[in-house]
Amino acid sequence: MTQRKVRVTVLCEDRQQEVFARYFLEKRGFHPRKIRYLLLPKGTQSGEQYVRECYRTEVKAYRSNKNHLSIALIVLIDADNKSVAERLNQLDSALEDDSQAKRQEHEKIAVFVPKRNIETWIHYLQEETVDEETAYQKLEKEGDCKPGVEKLVNQCDRGLAEDAPPSLHTACSEWQRII
Amino acid sequence: MLKRIYIDNFRCLVNFDLSVDAINLFLGPNGAGKSTVFDVLRKIQAFVSGDSKADVIFKSVDCTRWQTSPIQTFELEIEGNGGKYKYELAIDNYKDKERISARVEYERLWFDNQPLIKFESGEVQLYRDNYSEGQNYSFAWSQSILPTIMPRSDNTKLTWFKQRMERFIIVQIIPTMMDDDSNREQMRLSARMENFVSWYRYLSQDQGKIFELTNALREILDGFAYFKFVEAGQQNRILKLYFSGESDKSNTLEYRFGELSEGQRMLIALYTLIYCTQSEDYTLCIDEPENFLALAEIQPWLIKLYDLCSEKKTQALLISHHPELINYLLASPVGYWFDRQSNTPVRVKRIGSDNDTGLPISELIARGWLRDSA
Repeated sequence: MTQRKVRVTVLCEDRQQEVFARYFLEKRGFHPRKIRYLLLPKGTQSGEQYVRECYRTEVKAYRSNKNHLSIALIVLIDADNKSVAERLNQLDSALEDDSQAKRQEHEKIAVFVPKRNIETWIHYLQEETVDEETAYQKLEKEGDCKPGVEKLVNQCDRGLAEDAPPSLHTACSEWQRII
Repeated sequence: MLKRIYIDNFRCLVNFDLSVDAINLFLGPNGAGKSTVFDVLRKIQAFVSGDSKADVIFKSVDCTRWQTSPIQTFELEIEGNGGKYKYELAIDNYKDKERISARVEYERLWFDNQPLIKFESGEVQLYRDNYSEGQNYSFAWSQSILPTIMPRSDNTKLTWFKQRMERFIIVQIIPTMMDDDSNREQMRLSARMENFVSWYRYLSQDQGKIFELTNALREILDGFAYFKFVEAGQQNRILKLYFSGESDKSNTLEYRFGELSEGQRMLIALYTLIYCTQSEDYTLCIDEPENFLALAEIQPWLIKLYDLCSEKKTQALLISHHPELINYLLASPVGYWFDRQSNTPVRVKRIGSDNDTGLPISELIARGWLRDSA
């Protein structure tokens, strides 16, 4: 993708995911003014439910415009107590229920599924030892993830360390697919 | 950072108590008192800065109509300088012959619950930084004591507060009212930002700020190159903006500030507000910042502001009815719902986590659902 020109829609669960995605995309050279964030208002239904419900609409919007616009859709959804594959299947099912085709390899639709959730990645990037079952504490200030996320940009390109959470390995592969 | 506002007996605000955070969004129907809070802040700022006497700033018509008390009470709590300030002001709207006039019933300033000033019934007691008693004297009831106190080595806490009050920016930006020339630098913005150019002239003494602002605006305004003041008489300066063409960067065209569109002037004002005040402990009170902006411009500005507030580099109190602001900001618990019935005081409710409808908050507001549940 010619990153400065592409218009990106980021669909995510909450403020922490938004801030994480924003730091990543901006560090990666995406134009801040060409990124639009759709995030769940505090206190509405569960974040993953919100993302699943909006996903079909956003995929439809992407597909009806992808041929004449330089656009991409980026989705963040926590795995929680499911596996990454199960979350991805749920999203595929959401499309099928809406009579849409599953996400295709060539489409600029990237789905990132942190397991257990985004805090797992953040704590890992803060050089803590993590597993994907523990629910790690939320950051007091969402912006504190910035140094870790900026480090991730390079790590993702050069190859993640072996001990990185498997879901982060999957996410980096997903990233390589769409860029 | 402003932490708390208390207002009693001012228009629809009765026993009104509001704690605020780094970023705050005031929501609610028209006439619910959102802008009235800003009016009070503006009056207190004018009063403690010595702009005018009490009877010019405070009017008896602003007493709550369904009450009879002539006393209006205001309190501000501000965190900073390593502690918490509390400013208390009571205005007495007394009958003076045939007219009603306003005078200071009391004015007090505290730092971490220790007194810095007590001004009551025309008697002033000042306290030093170590809270020992300082000067004691009589003073006119008609004005604030604060602007008359000169900075000294033993009143640095008091001086800090005076300077902090200058760093409240309280505006409803109306680009059509902005002058495009300036006859002097002005440190404080007027309520509608009419004097933006004179304020910018003041800011332009700090080239570092202007450099950062210019760079930011180059990303936002297509072809924008730089600002320049052009002399127009002995004191007068006209603010001009220079734009270069897409193909020929050396070929710049100049425009007076007033020749830009309302939306462009609004964008410049909004970005100037955040780039030129960041990291200086300002409180930005902006009524409907989205006015005149193209839809795509709202979220990028808001994200920048949100980040600065999150990093405690500035504080923002916003009033808006716009879904873009509401839906972006209310992903965090920063909203306050203002509401009132006719001839009753304003009630404020923090917009919390009891919305499980799955609809965006802006949609709940549009349907009147949030109002009904408040």
